Amino acid sequence: MAEEGQVISCHTVEAWNEQLQKGNESKKLVVVDFTASWCGPCRFMAPILAELAKKLPNVIFLKVDVDELKTVATDWAVEAMPTFMFLKEGKIVDKIVGARKEELQQKITAHMVA
Amino acid sequence: MALSGFEGFEKRLELHFSGDDPVTEGIGLRQIDMESLEEVLDAVQCTVVSAVGNRYFDAYVLSESSLFVYPTKIIIKTCGTTQLLKSIPPLLSHARDMGLGLCGCRYTRGNFIFPKAQPYPHTSFREEVMYLEQSLPNNLCYRKACVMPSKVSSHSWHVYSASDERHMVLENMSNVFTIEVCMTELDRVLARKFYRRPGDANSGDVAGKEMTELTGIGNINSHALVCDFAFDPCGYSMNGIDGPQYSTIHVTPEDGFSYASFECVGFTDDHDDIGEVLKKVVQVFRPAMMSVSTTCVSQDVWTCVAKTLEPLGLNCRSSMIDEFPAAGNVVFQTFTTRRK
Repeated sequence: MAEEGQVISCHTVEAWNEQLQKGNESKKLVVVDFTASWCGPCRFMAPILAELAKKLPNVIFLKVDVDELKTVATDWAVEAMPTFMFLKEGKIVDKIVGARKEELQQKITAHMVA
Repeated sequence: MALSGFEGFEKRLELHFSGDDPVTEGIGLRQIDMESLEEVLDAVQCTVVSAVGNRYFDAYVLSESSLFVYPTKIIIKTCGTTQLLKSIPPLLSHARDMGLGLCGCRYTRGNFIFPKAQPYPHTSFREEVMYLEQSLPNNLCYRKACVMPSKVSSHSWHVYSASDERHMVLENMSNVFTIEVCMTELDRVLARKFYRRPGDANSGDVAGKEMTELTGIGNINSHALVCDFAFDPCGYSMNGIDGPQYSTIHVTPEDGFSYASFECVGFTDDHDDIGEVLKKVVQVFRPAMMSVSTTCVSQDVWTCVAKTLEPLGLNCRSSMIDEFPAAGNVVFQTFTTRRK
């Protein structure tokens, strides 16, 4: 996979569904970052997420702009940004709302081994 | 009282901006990049520890209290020995880069427990006002500074406000109210809940969430999304966001200079539950002394405060009202559990 070690931005619903499908099949932990261009705390987290993606090739990091993919954000009931959803085989296993970098690292570590 | 300890009493600055371009006003100050924001916080001497945003605004928990960024409004509140007013020059400069100019300013604070520990320009209210006067642009031609005293000598309310012509008119129609509560002499047992457990390996985020639940803070507004943080070895901060409204709590639990603050903004047409909120806040801390300041154009918000607090054993000791440019009426009330 070319995207390994990177945060994958999903710009269309098709791309999102495709990445999600791939993630489910891989049985890896998927972390989805719901973000918005006008949200200051999201900009705060972007470099931290990129760093985590580089460090953890066994975790799939996806990024969804809530204005670009409005229907996805609505379906996933995202109201505050950034929201991080943790998925495993298509199931939501955890969620973090806010730029909470320590909690994000802790939860990723916990779900990677679980 | 301890000779010196952590200063819980915050300084609070609210800046209003306006611009000619409605597009800029739509996102406005939320465009400020991270480096610029860090430069502002460096000047104040604090950092971001947690943050969250919604459709309306961004809320940051700081190492020393909180920051709220709306498209055309910034509220920054810092405790300890931070130099809050030093944020004004860089903020004005970044806003100018976005085509926004300052049209209103409000600075408020209580009475410092350790005034001698405060650095310039916070060495005295006089010094603070001089700094404000020098930092604000000339179009803010309506200005007023006043210390509102109380019968409880350890509590008094310092207010400075300034406004330009247009903002004056607009603010007179505003339906926004602000409530700032300062509590001292917290119940010792309740204050202990704001200490980290010994040997707790959790991050400040996770420990903060635990405190929000354990202390009952999570029940104050069940609709709000809470962004919380616990400091090591003690202390707690949270921002609650609920649509365009926020609430914020900061706690310094150390015995001898224990302090907690609660602040919220809301709309006058929907303030029925403010009594209920205040009641829950008091139950979290059970302070022996508290001051409540309400800022609002209309006069009806403050009347529910004493009605709510007196049945809880907090007797109203003083009540003062004064009018400020573009802020409206500031009502400052103090309460104690003592009879006289």
